[in-house]
Amino acid sequence: MVFIVRYVVRLKPKPVGDFLLCVGTAPGISASPSEENMRYFNVMILGPSQSPYEGGVFKLELFLPEEYPMAAPKVRFLTKIYHPNIDKLGRICLDILKDKWSPALQIRTVLLSIQALLSAPNPDDPLSENVAKHWKTNEAEAVETAKEWTQLYASGT
Amino acid sequence: MGTSSSNRRNQNPSYYQNPHHHQPLPSQQLASYSDPYPAPTPFAYSPHPPPPIYNSYNPGRPNLVPYYGPYHNHGGWAGIRPPPVSVPQPPPLPPPPYVDHQQAKKVRNDVNVHKGTLRLEVDEFNPDHHLVSFVFDAMIDGSFTIFYFAKEESNCRFFPLYPEVCEPFKFPFQKGVGQKFSQPSGTGIDLGFFELDDLSKPSAKEDVFPLVISAETCLPSVPTKGSLDDPSPSSSPHMQITQAVIQKNDQTGFQVKVFKQILWIDGIRYELREIFGIENSAAESFKDDDPGKECVICLTEPKDTAVLPCRHMCICSECAQTLRLQSNKCPICRQPIDEFIEIKINKAD
Repeated sequence: MVFIVRYVVRLKPKPVGDFLLCVGTAPGISASPSEENMRYFNVMILGPSQSPYEGGVFKLELFLPEEYPMAAPKVRFLTKIYHPNIDKLGRICLDILKDKWSPALQIRTVLLSIQALLSAPNPDDPLSENVAKHWKTNEAEAVETAKEWTQLYASGT
Repeated sequence: MGTSSSNRRNQNPSYYQNPHHHQPLPSQQLASYSDPYPAPTPFAYSPHPPPPIYNSYNPGRPNLVPYYGPYHNHGGWAGIRPPPVSVPQPPPLPPPPYVDHQQAKKVRNDVNVHKGTLRLEVDEFNPDHHLVSFVFDAMIDGSFTIFYFAKEESNCRFFPLYPEVCEPFKFPFQKGVGQKFSQPSGTGIDLGFFELDDLSKPSAKEDVFPLVISAETCLPSVPTKGSLDDPSPSSSPHMQITQAVIQKNDQTGFQVKVFKQILWIDGIRYELREIFGIENSAAESFKDDDPGKECVICLTEPKDTAVLPCRHMCICSECAQTLRLQSNKCPICRQPIDEFIEIKINKAD
């Protein structure tokens, strides 16, 4: 089970057998495989400080396709989020999840990139046209909306 | 039920039916893959690999995988010296399906100038003149020759362009590791004679360099079996050539930048290139919890394969074969891959 070895390899203490319940990631990020499907992960990312998403707890799903790590994991926000690079279905516009994928990337690095995307929205490469337009025409107001959405949908309660 | 299974097959048309890590297909099948790259021809594995076909830097000449650490001046040859016999017998491997998966050939280098240590210093008794200094390792006695504006001719011979202005100086050295060479006072050169522009770059064809240091060893101390059969072993000395440019810096005076290093061994010219990541790849000291030594793809096997032309040593040979079918880009830098080179490092060597 190469793909399991791949994501448990850096864990300490060592997992028992092939099974483990939590993937060691990074501050503000956690990922646990689902019990039914070891390729399916429940992910939580904390909104980065000094971003409109600060204080929010964002749920995502991450799926490792059979080709992983030769192909990118499929990641999607489950929590609603107001962000120019994330659409209303939670799909994420991030190059490393598409053409810039490299098999040297791991779950941890992918999730770190997504967390960084929350700190640095890029309205010039939008996935959500309306949000991006809002961001470009009136950034202060768009940031306010993003904060409201964070309160509304990602307050963790 | 029948329809659902055929549906499943159709759902995923964009992916190859991936051979995956455990089930490599026979090479003929691999060759028929709709690979966008030139169709690879299977080749018979031989412990004596064909000369590397990797020539993007220097067409027509074989390149060498250097065995000294890229970042550390002390990395040297000392720890990982290959044996005098140049081609080790690699452990038996399944036949690699691609021509461009090469086994590294090891050659022995008897003298190594640490390229990061090369300096030009003012001759204190003769302030207009500059002297060369550097650190080097030598397994055998030999001599250095310092050239200014030397042109490379065939068979790795160097000739000064302006012999009347600066004739090459020859200095003997003795064997020893980590020695410092300082050119004796009075033998230096007045760099003011040259245009700064000429000093700062090689000639357009890159055959003339402002500073060339040729390190030549005497006859090999241990004659190899091959050399007994060779009618003229001594006619082909072992040399390491360091080609550099000289840049003027307002604060520190003249600075030397090494452009390339060449090995001339048994009539073959090798170009020394650094392999990134080779310094923490030694396979036999591999431990499971030792980060940085494992293949970046499977995170399981020790890395033993470098990617060319970008020279990132980052994967294991098994993942190299999978990678070839999938993306053909270096996992570290995403440059297209021309070739893999498997490098077995043996501390015992």
